[in-house]
Amino acid sequence: MSFLCLFVANLFSQTRAPRDAAPFDMTGYWVAVVSEDWRFRMFTPPKGDYPDIPLNQAGKNIADSWDPAKDEEAGEQCKAYGAANIFRIPTRLHITWADNNTLKIETDAGTQTRLLRFGAGASPAGPPDWQGFSVAQWEGPASGRGSGGGLKVITTRMRPAYLQKNGAPYSANAQMTEYFDVVKEPDGDQWLVVKTIVVDPQYLQRSLIRSTHFRKQADATGWNPTPCAAR
Amino acid sequence: MTCRVPLCLLLRLRPIGLALRGVFVVVLVLSSASTTFAQVNLSGVWDNLGILHEDWPDRLFGPELGDYGGVPLTDAARLRADTWDASLITLPEYQCRVHPSDYAPSFAGFRVWEERDRDSQQLIAIHIHHFAWGTERTIWMDGRPHPPDWALHTAMGFSTGKWDGDVLTVYTTHFKEGWIRRNGIPRSDRATVVEHFIRHADGLTLMTVISDPVYLTEPMVRSREYEYLIGGQIPPYPCEPVEEIVRPKGVIPHHLPGTNPFLNEFADKHGLPHDAARGGGETMYPGYKGGAAPAHPGPAGPVNPLKIDDVHVLPVVPGTFMVVGPNGGNVTVQVGKDGVLVVDTQAANVTQKVLAEIRKLSDVPIRYIVNTSYSRDFTGGNEAIRKAGSTITGGNVAGDIQDAAVGAQILAHDNVLKRMTSIAPSAWPTSTYLSDQKKLFFNGEGIDILHQPAAHTDGDSIVFFRRSDVISTGDIFTTTSYPVIDVAAGGTINGVIDALNRLVDMIIPVYGQEGGTLVVPGHGRLSDFGDVLNFREMTIIVRDRVQDMIKKGMTLEQVKAARPTRDYDPLFGSGDKFVEAVYQTLKKGN
Repeated sequence: MSFLCLFVANLFSQTRAPRDAAPFDMTGYWVAVVSEDWRFRMFTPPKGDYPDIPLNQAGKNIADSWDPAKDEEAGEQCKAYGAANIFRIPTRLHITWADNNTLKIETDAGTQTRLLRFGAGASPAGPPDWQGFSVAQWEGPASGRGSGGGLKVITTRMRPAYLQKNGAPYSANAQMTEYFDVVKEPDGDQWLVVKTIVVDPQYLQRSLIRSTHFRKQADATGWNPTPCAAR
Repeated sequence: MTCRVPLCLLLRLRPIGLALRGVFVVVLVLSSASTTFAQVNLSGVWDNLGILHEDWPDRLFGPELGDYGGVPLTDAARLRADTWDASLITLPEYQCRVHPSDYAPSFAGFRVWEERDRDSQQLIAIHIHHFAWGTERTIWMDGRPHPPDWALHTAMGFSTGKWDGDVLTVYTTHFKEGWIRRNGIPRSDRATVVEHFIRHADGLTLMTVISDPVYLTEPMVRSREYEYLIGGQIPPYPCEPVEEIVRPKGVIPHHLPGTNPFLNEFADKHGLPHDAARGGGETMYPGYKGGAAPAHPGPAGPVNPLKIDDVHVLPVVPGTFMVVGPNGGNVTVQVGKDGVLVVDTQAANVTQKVLAEIRKLSDVPIRYIVNTSYSRDFTGGNEAIRKAGSTITGGNVAGDIQDAAVGAQILAHDNVLKRMTSIAPSAWPTSTYLSDQKKLFFNGEGIDILHQPAAHTDGDSIVFFRRSDVISTGDIFTTTSYPVIDVAAGGTINGVIDALNRLVDMIIPVYGQEGGTLVVPGHGRLSDFGDVLNFREMTIIVRDRVQDMIKKGMTLEQVKAARPTRDYDPLFGSGDKFVEAVYQTLKKGN
């Protein structure tokens, strides 16, 4: 009977809209709690200080020539706020369903918006942008050990930007895979954990893998939209 | 499996023919093949050496001194870190101190394997072997409860787990003191940790949430990444201490408050505001731009680790037990063919319960009581427990002393007897020793009763069960308070430190600071080497601080006002009495 249930549940979930099939609720306000990579995230590190990032020589050359004044002059203050680094910025998130098939993530830092599109096909033609084109898919439940599962998102068509505020680059060829999970604590806290895998043969020696955590807020307290800053 | 889908419920209500079930199974297999199914078996080797993409250089070379950024630490934790000296880990007894389970996975890989019941294939436990120091931990999955508060604490802690969907959630208690960062930021033994093991494909995210009411103002959260290593191996990690620096016994490297010259190195090196690098919860949130976090003095009183509602027995090793109770000190009970030996007798108002617990262990006669000091919370039950026992006697003793066989013998140092003359003689020691040692052979093992002069009092004894490898310390060592120094009864701070040094010499751990010799403290939980080391470290540090203040000519009131114990007060409560005793005895040259 368990197999039958699984099958029917599987069939049932495939027929439901992604919004209804969500194994957990990501909507609401979340705040980044910067307890890792603190000095790289809370402050802009000096040029050339990127020991965590597996840049290849081409990437290092770009990073070592970082000039925030030039970014400002070019109107590219948001280069550290692209999809591959936006969650590393100390920010709050506001997550809503834009429609039954699209999860919208807004940040107050840099006022960026990411759209996670369920059931979307290949990226449509068009110029790349900071947040790229993201295709989302619910995963699981995988094990039969209970309800659950995660959210997998693949993002392409990203505009070249930074993996860290001091100019460690990723290219237009980069592809990013993300996994979103929500976990609950005994004290009632909820955490959103986002694992980010960036593959960029142009500037990275290997994939960059980081995970970032956000605590659920009861409301919009602290929400403070601010423009991108290059420094 | 619980089926929560309405259609599924419907199917459960209606009988389905076998043939139809067969069709469903075939379709299910086909359907599953086209669906993304993550793998949640965590077994295998997980490595992070290639992906240390966060918290560099903490996770390979170690954190930098003075780097408290991103840690929601209290003022007490900051002072502990400020006064921490990296030379501490050059001491032989600290060299192999292992990383606790909430810290070890940050540094290198680990192997996971499952333990299942052979017949039912039910999951009993998940085991993890860390590369770092070769430590191993068990996550119990069979629903067993956590041990009582007075059970042994370890670096790995006691963990139970459950599946929340595809996420393994683990809850850990019973920690030894560890660190948030190994640059001196402590994590107390009263912390609890929740971990979430999240697997996606061949990647694993380990999210760790540390709650420490003593040293953190809010949970400390980390999320670490690992890659599945096909055919991965974990090499051994032997550690054998050596004497790197020859020092006098009992020297603990530390900085006196306000004297650490290295605290700003981290901020200066990386161009950070000094205040920001000092950490605090406020520095972790969006909008923080620098500036000192507000003061967080931490809890007003001690965070009590022990909730003892009644008299309870905890097995220590076969034949040796620790009896705890809501009043009085701990009792050690040794049981064997020769009878029962009891170290200390708790307070008088719980004696009958203590006796009842002893009788549950064995009905052989109680032959000996050993008092580690005269304190009433250790001798309160002397009279009743003595009466419940008997002494084997004969020869001229039986002839000369007609009641020699009545009641158990009470052994103690002679100074204990001298300090009990104001109470009923029936509670007095019946046999005292005057030198530094009394030897006994009972229940097949040698028992050393070692006088420790001028420590808690002038009559303290340490009781060492040599075959069992268990030591009863009396109030020389506790896990719940500062050293209790009865100055009026001859206690001194340096006597306490001498006694703790002696314990450190006597205890042989299995590895690092754990296992091997077990220690029954005067009050508090069952302990081992690491617990005694932590207690000695605190005692020596406070002694040195007070000594320095005395050298500066400070009065007792000035010393107390400076609160030299303020970084330990959240563990033990007000240090005033302790500081007073330290001051008084140091002023006398003791």
